[in-house]
Amino acid sequence: MAAWSCRFVLQRGVRLMCPRTAAESPTQLLGCIRTVKTTTWFDEHLTEDNQEYMRKSMGEEYRNQTAAKLNPLKDEPWERHEWTEGSRRVGLVAVKLGMAPIWTKTGERHVATMLQVQDCHVIRYLSKDEYDGKTAALLVGGKNASPFHKSEENMEMCREAGVPPKQKVTTFKVSDNAIIKPGTPLYAAHFRPGQYVDVTAKSIGKGFQGVMKRWGFKGQPATHGQTKTHRRPGASGPGGDPAKVFKGKKMPGRMGNTYITAHGLKIWRVNTRYNVLYVNGSVPGHRNCLLKVRDTVLPTRISTLQNPPFPTYFADGDEDLDEDLYDDDLFTHTDSSLTIT
Amino acid sequence: MAACVKKLDKCIFNLRLLRNLQLQNERYLSTSVLRLSAGTNDKFVPPSKPVIVDKTQTTASLRKFLSPEFVPPRQRTNPLKFFMERKDMIQRRKVIQIPEFYVGSILAVTTADSTANGKSSRFVGICVQRGGKGLGATFILRNIIDNQGVEICYELYSPLIQAVEVLKLEKRLDDNLMYLRDALPEYSTVDPDMKPLPISHSGEVPVNEIKVKMRPKPWSKRWERPKFDIKGINFELALTPEKMERAQKWAEPWNEFDMLREYDTSELEEKIFKEVQQEMNK
Repeated sequence: MAAWSCRFVLQRGVRLMCPRTAAESPTQLLGCIRTVKTTTWFDEHLTEDNQEYMRKSMGEEYRNQTAAKLNPLKDEPWERHEWTEGSRRVGLVAVKLGMAPIWTKTGERHVATMLQVQDCHVIRYLSKDEYDGKTAALLVGGKNASPFHKSEENMEMCREAGVPPKQKVTTFKVSDNAIIKPGTPLYAAHFRPGQYVDVTAKSIGKGFQGVMKRWGFKGQPATHGQTKTHRRPGASGPGGDPAKVFKGKKMPGRMGNTYITAHGLKIWRVNTRYNVLYVNGSVPGHRNCLLKVRDTVLPTRISTLQNPPFPTYFADGDEDLDEDLYDDDLFTHTDSSLTIT
Repeated sequence: MAACVKKLDKCIFNLRLLRNLQLQNERYLSTSVLRLSAGTNDKFVPPSKPVIVDKTQTTASLRKFLSPEFVPPRQRTNPLKFFMERKDMIQRRKVIQIPEFYVGSILAVTTADSTANGKSSRFVGICVQRGGKGLGATFILRNIIDNQGVEICYELYSPLIQAVEVLKLEKRLDDNLMYLRDALPEYSTVDPDMKPLPISHSGEVPVNEIKVKMRPKPWSKRWERPKFDIKGINFELALTPEKMERAQKWAEPWNEFDMLREYDTSELEEKIFKEVQQEMNK
């Protein structure tokens, strides 16, 4: 709508100013004219009441769909395989809630990040040939989103899986025995306390930053005859022989807003009712951002993954879990105070 | 015989007077009366057992009190996060009694301490500051030990804390008493063997309207500046009127009209208070 009206006003203005030339070619005069888009959006011909009704009813429908775990599976679920050494499971898409302190049974204080697994579903299975010819992959989406601003391909993909459209969809490389049928919901109990995970997310953007903040350069002293040289990068390389600045030289520039992975974070606690993971330390990204959590790839930590729920945790009742799963070293608040002997 | 009766009469009258004078010490009076009556009446009646009410014992407060760390800060965080933290906090409060206290109250905290003799240490001091929200809530106790100021920051929900005891429940004029660092030492000195004073469980919490005397400048902060808004310092003794006048240069009187700074938590507090009460009574 905006594009149309803009163009209309511009053309009008041009016509008013110089009617003769404008009648021939209005676009040539104005090089900055916006292109006419043929897309329409859902509320173009709707009254405000109807828009609201649409939003509400769709939201309600999707919420019910996820709450009832209604996954219109057309045929039987796929065959489940046994866990073997070296298999690669899917990960989850989680929302960062914030950080909270936790205490171990020796009284040590750690901070943990709370990640909530919100409406996480497997959306699509890509076989080896479809993906990259080396491994199979699964597309996993998290957090239901409004369907009105999604592209048709996106909607089609979600419709095929029988799940609401998702705010974030990521790809996980999985081994052939760990594939899951699209439409399966994933829960926080997919990970168990004591294991280690990698968390990937887009870091907080810092804008254009100098060399001291971006790369941790030392800068120059505040006094001792410095003139206008306190936070500058200094020399950028040898002169003379190479007579150039080497590629990859650390320079000022845009900082943050890139995908970063925090490796080897321990899972301290899992709340199975609200699907909250307590992950050791900090993870990239701002509050409420969507991130990707998967089993760690660190060779020293991979051995902590002993007999995990494979290929994922299914909530159909074959495994009875407590509301809270704690790590063995973690202090639970129902215990009495610690005494040191 | 008549004289004896007269004397007895006098004696009883005196006793009545005494009783009026010292109402508290009833046990002494009652025994003496009994002894007298035993003189006239041969039967021995054992004295009634004194009922000892320990007024220092912490009982449930009758006033409505929600610990400040339950109120979430103003930010765009999913309320679920605070709810989860609250659940843990309530669970911890069921195990260990964390009493109602304020900045300015005198507390005794017993903690597990690997470096102490007997592996636990008790510290008595005045609460100078309360900080943090949720599980990470802290409070700072200050005391002067061997002429050396000591401040210890305790985590309210740390498992190392074994007991928190309120020795004297009162408020001060300010919500933050960090200026005690720059005040004369007698204002932050507390006897480590202090006996708990009786606490009233109803009515308002008493406010100690003491104004402290400061040491000569320089202070750790310029407490006279309006941004601290401190009422508990006797500035007349430390600063000249001109200097007090000059400090007003940093006043920001427009801030009170800034509607974006308003954060009315009364409704939220009401809701959380109900939830906490419900969970605690479970």
